[in-house]
Amino acid sequence: MRDDRKDEMGRRHFFRALGGGSVAAAAAITAQPMIATPAQAYDPGAEETKARYRESDHVKAFYRTNGYETLKKI
Amino acid sequence: MARMKFLCDADRCIECNACVTACKNEHEVPWGINRRRVVTLNDGKPGERSVSMACMHCTDAPCAAVCPVNCFYTTADAVVLHSKDICIGCGYCFYACPFGAPQYPKVGNFGSRGKMDKCTYCAGGPESDFSTIEYEKYGSNRLAEGKLPLCAEMCSTKALLAGDGDMIAEIYKQRVIKRGYGSGAWGWKTAYRETVAI
Repeated sequence: MRDDRKDEMGRRHFFRALGGGSVAAAAAITAQPMIATPAQAYDPGAEETKARYRESDHVKAFYRTNGYETLKKI
Repeated sequence: MARMKFLCDADRCIECNACVTACKNEHEVPWGINRRRVVTLNDGKPGERSVSMACMHCTDAPCAAVCPVNCFYTTADAVVLHSKDICIGCGYCFYACPFGAPQYPKVGNFGSRGKMDKCTYCAGGPESDFSTIEYEKYGSNRLAEGKLPLCAEMCSTKALLAGDGDMIAEIYKQRVIKRGYGSGAWGWKTAYRETVAI
């Protein structure tokens, strides 16, 4: 029986080569020092957290109509 | 600085659910999510009470305390908002919230619920005011327009109050004085002691 695939990279050779490469890559990664970075809490910024409420005429009308039966006596 | 608060006068709420409908329509909230809901106690029995519930924008918000990615922030108006870009949909805030305010677009296990959605006090989100992206993610920004949350503004019986905490507390206090009795809410005496009549 003739084996034509001898020159090609066989399945086992392929995975062996792949595994070797992965180990080498992993070793390269772990060789780097693990540098801890400070945890960063979400900071939306001053513009996003600024006050938007204002006592406009619209809001004043809401307060007036909701307290119409009581606040008018104050 | 004004602190934005909700206050539902349970003696006036008639469970019409207009606040729920107004909220869903104003912000185009998708199916399955209710930023606001009306809870009825002792339904059909004497002493029945309905309360409109949403995010209460807690001063020391438990949702923010448990969030593993710190996506919550409190504005200068004391409105608790969150960033959907940072939210991972873990669901911790839902377990922490005493009002059941956080909602999720999908039913699923950890991490598969989608981005959390909740009442924004009609104050939009971290994106720039009145932008399309802000509206798509968080709904309209009525507070920046000089208005108050629509749920409260369109309450037909004026049960749901919103706005400056001092102002709506004064309105409610005057109502209680006129009626001659308080809300009778559970925990009232614990919170305010028996010496406080109102």
